[in-house]
Amino acid sequence: MIKIYGSFVSRATRNLWMLEELGLEYEHVSLDWAKQENRSAAYLKINPAGKVPTLEDGDATLSESLGINLYLVQKYGQGGLWPDDDAGRALCVQWSFWAAAELEPLAYGRIREFLFKKEPDRDQALIANMAERTGPLLDLMTLALDEHAYLSGETFTVADLNAACVMEYLDRSDFDLSGWPKVAAWYTNTYGRPANQKIQDQRAPIAADMMKRLQG
Amino acid sequence: MITLLGKAISRSARCLWALEEVGVQYEHKPLDYATGDAKTPEFTAINPGAKIPALIDGDVAMFESLAINLYLAQTYGKGALWPDDAAGQAQCLQWTLFSVTEAEPPGSTRLVQFIFKSKEERSQEVIDAAAERSKAPLNTLETTLQSQSYLAGDSFTVADLNVACSVEYFVRTNFDLSPWPKVKDWIARCMDRPAFQAMTAIKAKEAA
Ligand SMILES: N[C@@H](CCC(=O)N[C@@H](CS)C(=O)NCC(=O)O)C(=O)O
Ligand SMILES: N[C@@H](CCC(=O)N[C@@H](CS)C(=O)NCC(=O)O)C(=O)O
Repeated sequence: MIKIYGSFVSRATRNLWMLEELGLEYEHVSLDWAKQENRSAAYLKINPAGKVPTLEDGDATLSESLGINLYLVQKYGQGGLWPDDDAGRALCVQWSFWAAAELEPLAYGRIREFLFKKEPDRDQALIANMAERTGPLLDLMTLALDEHAYLSGETFTVADLNAACVMEYLDRSDFDLSGWPKVAAWYTNTYGRPANQKIQDQRAPIAADMMKRLQG
Repeated sequence: MITLLGKAISRSARCLWALEEVGVQYEHKPLDYATGDAKTPEFTAINPGAKIPALIDGDVAMFESLAINLYLAQTYGKGALWPDDAAGQAQCLQWTLFSVTEAEPPGSTRLVQFIFKSKEERSQEVIDAAAERSKAPLNTLETTLQSQSYLAGDSFTVADLNVACSVEYFVRTNFDLSPWPKVKDWIARCMDRPAFQAMTAIKAKEAA
């Protein structure tokens, strides 16, 4: 049975969403990073870096949330979230890496300010600078969405799932997407899929607790 | 025909290395982002973000250097750069993402500081922060390389190639890797490969 390690308030939700999309059976092992459960000797054997998420599937063990999604989709999502044609597949890999290389540093850099600092301590200059650098990325997404309904073509694929997982940080930190209506509509439609809704519903109470702890 | 777009002295070098490894025929168009080459309709049709590299192969048109390398490995490197077993393939995906999320940020910070900035423009604070941030990914690599000679097992795969693309930045900026002897040995083996040397020769020719 597939095992996914990492709590609902970690990047493991990216993989839980994918597992739900693919309709796979899996065991979810929630490690609480506030309690250092990801640093236990048993977990360090599975992932020496002590980070979550990690996936186990038969002989295969891997970390890196977006890489796990590419692994799952290539193995279990043929013809669906993983397109049949080479051109579509290339775009799925491309957008996944774009999300990791270009979008995540800015989106994560932003949400860190919102999560781990209280309002008066936030670095407003940094937030503004990152927002400015995010604009061209949203322009680029808009151009792709001018061509087709989803990032890699006319159907929802791992390209959308992986990009939306990272966009989530902008959404949770109230980034104003109104200048990019196509991106905003794509995000609502993608992020709101029933498979993700199921995960977000389970996450909500745990996240609320965490926010109380972090923001007081 | 495969076409790689982007001058060699850029992240295109990563894809030149992969192309040389898989040994397919390709055409190289050394477009320069600084001169507007990447703003032509031919290029922006592939990457409207106007960043190099990009690749065309029949119907396939894509950007993102390490994604291109995964595509090349999966398409032309079966049984070699792209291992046959699911466990090895999983490792290739993991390490390629690791390269982007963990190893490249401190590596490219060093590259910018040491290669693109003059001595006066350099910030010791930024260099020190990058050195601090380098430790965790280098420790992770060291731990893995203690029990196997390459990242996805006992042979060179796209996992090594893609991580080496980031670790190479540390070598080029004379970062002291001696606290990570396995990493030091591994990156030397990667950079010794004939395909890496072929890519270096293309860069040298371009610089001349
Ligand atoms: N690039 C990795 C990042 C993983 C990561 O940083 N995970 C965090 C939680 S979301 C973590 O485990 N932090 C605990 C630690 O670093 O000790 C991924 O996408 O999976
Ligand atoms: N994440 C991208 C980064 C591409 C990138 O930033 N390329 C640089 C050259 S190495 C570029 O074209 N810069 C031009 C610009 O930013 O306008 C990749 O790995 O391909």
